[in-house]
Amino acid sequence: MTHQSSRVQERHDSPQEIEQLTRTWHSPRGFPGWFTHVNQRMIGRRFIITGFIFFLLAGVLGLLIRTQLAGPEQHFLGPELYNQFFTMHGTVMMFFFAIPVMEGFAIYVVPLMVGTRDMAFPRLNAFGYYIYLIGGIVLFGSLLVGMAPDAGWFNYVPLAGKEYSPGYGVDIWTTMITFIEVSALTAAVELIVTILRLRAPGMSLNRMPPFVWAALVMSFMIVFAMPAVIVSSTLLILDRLVDTQFFLVESGGQPLLWQHLFWFFGHPEVYIILVPALGMISTIIITFTGRPIFGYTALVLSVVSIGFVSFGLWVHHMFTTGLPQLGMSFFTAASVTIAIPSGVQIFCWIASLWGAKIRFATPMLWVLGFFAIFVIGGLTGVMIASIPFDTQVHDTFFLVAHFHYVLIGGAVFPLMGALYYWWPKFTGRLMSEAGGKWSFWLAFIGFNITFFPMHQLGLEGMPRRVYTYTAEMGWGDLNSLSTLGSFVLAAGFMVTLINAVWSLYRGQPAGENPWNAPTLEWATASPPPAYNYRHIPIVESRWPLWDWQCRGERSVVTGLSHQQREIVITSVLDADPVGVQILPSPTIWPFIAAVAASSGFIGLIFHPVFFVMGFFLVFFALVGWFWPRRPWKEEA
Amino acid sequence: MRVINGIDATNMSRLHPDQRAPLWWGILGLITIESAVVLAFCVSYLYLAAHAEVWPPSGTAPPLLWPSINLGLLLLSCMTMYSAGQGINHGNKRRLAIGVTTSVLLASLVLVLRTKELMAYDFSWQDHAYGSIVWTISGFHYVHVTSMVLGSTAIAILAWRGYFTRERQIGVVVDTNYWYFVCIAWVPFYLLLYWGPRLYGN
Repeated sequence: MTHQSSRVQERHDSPQEIEQLTRTWHSPRGFPGWFTHVNQRMIGRRFIITGFIFFLLAGVLGLLIRTQLAGPEQHFLGPELYNQFFTMHGTVMMFFFAIPVMEGFAIYVVPLMVGTRDMAFPRLNAFGYYIYLIGGIVLFGSLLVGMAPDAGWFNYVPLAGKEYSPGYGVDIWTTMITFIEVSALTAAVELIVTILRLRAPGMSLNRMPPFVWAALVMSFMIVFAMPAVIVSSTLLILDRLVDTQFFLVESGGQPLLWQHLFWFFGHPEVYIILVPALGMISTIIITFTGRPIFGYTALVLSVVSIGFVSFGLWVHHMFTTGLPQLGMSFFTAASVTIAIPSGVQIFCWIASLWGAKIRFATPMLWVLGFFAIFVIGGLTGVMIASIPFDTQVHDTFFLVAHFHYVLIGGAVFPLMGALYYWWPKFTGRLMSEAGGKWSFWLAFIGFNITFFPMHQLGLEGMPRRVYTYTAEMGWGDLNSLSTLGSFVLAAGFMVTLINAVWSLYRGQPAGENPWNAPTLEWATASPPPAYNYRHIPIVESRWPLWDWQCRGERSVVTGLSHQQREIVITSVLDADPVGVQILPSPTIWPFIAAVAASSGFIGLIFHPVFFVMGFFLVFFALVGWFWPRRPWKEEA
Repeated sequence: MRVINGIDATNMSRLHPDQRAPLWWGILGLITIESAVVLAFCVSYLYLAAHAEVWPPSGTAPPLLWPSINLGLLLLSCMTMYSAGQGINHGNKRRLAIGVTTSVLLASLVLVLRTKELMAYDFSWQDHAYGSIVWTISGFHYVHVTSMVLGSTAIAILAWRGYFTRERQIGVVVDTNYWYFVCIAWVPFYLLLYWGPRLYGN
């Protein structure tokens, strides 16, 4: 197998072949057909759309919370409803918006970026989506029937125990969180295998685009972090459902065990959201400066080391729990250490921007907004990494300000940039630049008006998670300002929503590569055909499209069947082609398996017997899924 | 732009039972995730033990005999499973079928013995944190043995029907790897649940 064939042969495609390929990769239309889709772009698109719907819903909850806090002693929301709202706001934003939407972008973009036709396990992908959808509907539905969880998004025991949280709210939280982690884990494995085995021939690891690196690191972090929250919420389910004693002090249980397990997941979790955003930023910077990124190797190594170091930080959420001094010092040191790889990244980006002819298109604006906001969030992060300061502002609005700066600044702003950036690839049309700029400035100004005053409120002692405050505290003015800002922020996001819908009908047609970007996803039509690439490309550098433009020619893989879904498998390090994989066609089984699993999990909220039922239903669904259908395929 | 034929995939192999198959990597991913779960359970056990005044609360560690026999049976079933995999590597369908069936029978015997052992415990998961974690870990592993028995039964049925061949055996590879994981996961649990209190308590 050689990369350069001895005799140069030019490729000419026949329309019949293309028609056959289209038929092979076609997804059935219509209502029952919708439940059989397995193509990676279909699933990725669903993750993204569903994720943004949850962003909208949780955003509305945030606005309602802000409305309640606008002035002292208001009774717009009662304390019970307020508790449910802030719990749901946090839970939905973290678990049902941030992770799934990042995974959705990775599922959609990564296979295109590595130049393949689908992901390694298309049916598993579909399964993961249904799990996420069902879990999200159940969790959000609980709010509509007034049974929503109300113990905060990190659900501390003993508050979340049976004694202090009777009713089904916390049960819904524990079961649905465990449940949708399954979806995050399937997507993670899927991405890891796709990135390691399905890259286009020639795309060795050191030629992988930064976003693919980021998706790889994110996926590994999910694989090692999520099991901890699965175990912690399983223990809590057992405590609440069958009276185990894990978190009850009087029978030898340890409430702090919850905090350790939860934050062992919870801290990597915020980096799981941040890391793909870092990849998006590098991608956008490369394209809009029109030149290779400065310090590719340093950037990749920093993303990888952020992944590692993030697992050594969890205790800094627990500085006020009275842990031993030595342990605390270790975690302070680790918390400060993470500034090193983050700093390396920022410097590489600055060097890339330095002296470049930057095109200030909308995606680039969101990235510049990220710089401003994330640096402030990072500075307050260094402040609260010091224990005496943290003890002072723990559980105040200072923390609320800090983590909104890092999460919205660090993840949502790059995400919006990425949405504008890849939108033409998703839909074939560009969003309006004017709309994009309005959206950015409204969101940027609104964001700072909303969250900057919270620093001051926190320093003045305003506690989080309390539904109101008295007039004598003197927090009214800053709170009104913050509430005003939140509506400006929301208006900013609404402009993007309108822009997106408008562009579907009126947007300027994009063509293959509207931004003159160097990565493979721009080498196919917008939106790509069902089979992504007519031929799987062969890559010779980090910036294939720019090189092809210089050379005026490119080489491709030929000889894949048009009759069945075939993709090329390559070696892990150098991406040498080693074989061909045949992928499954559309099927209903992932949906059946997801329904079987969800019946078990939903039942578990009410009675343990549903575990047994769900177990056997899932077993039969999996047998149906994997049972070989005749005629048995023979070696081709 | 000129498009040039670079690599011809016409004659590349389509069915891989080995490390080339994405599914082989997929099962590795599942095993990694589950290993992290096993680790989290072990850490929880140690955390609870470290904070307890007496561990176990009754002062006596659970009996060793039957869990040790179970460990032996599980490790033996790994060998029969390995033999089954080697069988199909040489194209021996009969050896595969017999190997998988033997493993399923051995693991079923483990389930019977485990059931009797758990029934004989004089504490419940409701009594104290020790009972909770012992029952939870036991239940976790019990469910895994059950699912590997069920899954391998399906593999055994296909094997007796002659579905698997030397090339078409990714199902066997996946099943055997998962089998090894479930059996080997018992080792840390066994050491922790039965030897831990003996070494730590005295």
